[in-house]
Amino acid sequence: MSETQILGESIIIRMVVGMLYPFMVLLGFYVIVNGHYTPGGGFQGGSVLATLFVARYVVFPVDDTDSERLHTIQRLFLMLILVVPTALLFTGVVTRYPALRGPYLTLMDLLIGIQVGFGLGVAVLRFAFFQGVGKTWHL
Amino acid sequence: MRRFLAALLVIGTFAIVTAVSAGNRVELEPYVYDYIVHNFEEDTGSKNAVAAILLSYRMYDTMFEALILLAAIVGMTQFLPRPGDMTGGPRSSATQESEDTTDE
Repeated sequence: MSETQILGESIIIRMVVGMLYPFMVLLGFYVIVNGHYTPGGGFQGGSVLATLFVARYVVFPVDDTDSERLHTIQRLFLMLILVVPTALLFTGVVTRYPALRGPYLTLMDLLIGIQVGFGLGVAVLRFAFFQGVGKTWHL
Repeated sequence: MRRFLAALLVIGTFAIVTAVSAGNRVELEPYVYDYIVHNFEEDTGSKNAVAAILLSYRMYDTMFEALILLAAIVGMTQFLPRPGDMTGGPRSSATQESEDTTDE
């Protein structure tokens, strides 16, 4: 991938995606954190967060992300998803202390959201760069 | 002929399954539905019954649902060609073997 091909990406796409980037983060975490009040939750918000990887790939299709490290983060959060309910919910701690209910729901939504975000991001990057070279498209 | 037999198999399976399910209709009593609708707010502190079911009543389901993503990524890691594999074109394994032998 040469420098000229990267610079050949449309400036409109680069500017628009750059402006949308913080709003995508905001929307993703909004959907995740409000999961126990409004429709949404971990899986949906995580999918929104995964669009960050897609947006970055559309603008800058270079394989400089270490997807193995992203996968390690995803596995770490998956371990937390398996450990936290086992420690808090199945032992009855959340049922016994009602003050923990809200924080528990928010924590689980956050863990699931980040795990799904990283997992879908790894999937997208693996499919995008599975030949070692990103497919550049010009809109 | 094979297509006709395949279509017959599909349609026949559909008809049998539909007939069996229509013949054995079981009226489920709405115990779980009533319980969750009336008690989810006190039980879980959630304002949203879907979140209550997903994160409290059916936590096992959510845990294993999250595991599916790991299985998918492990499968992709194993079955997608790695960056070096595709350089020789579609017959990369054969060409690579010949290259290996010539290198030695």
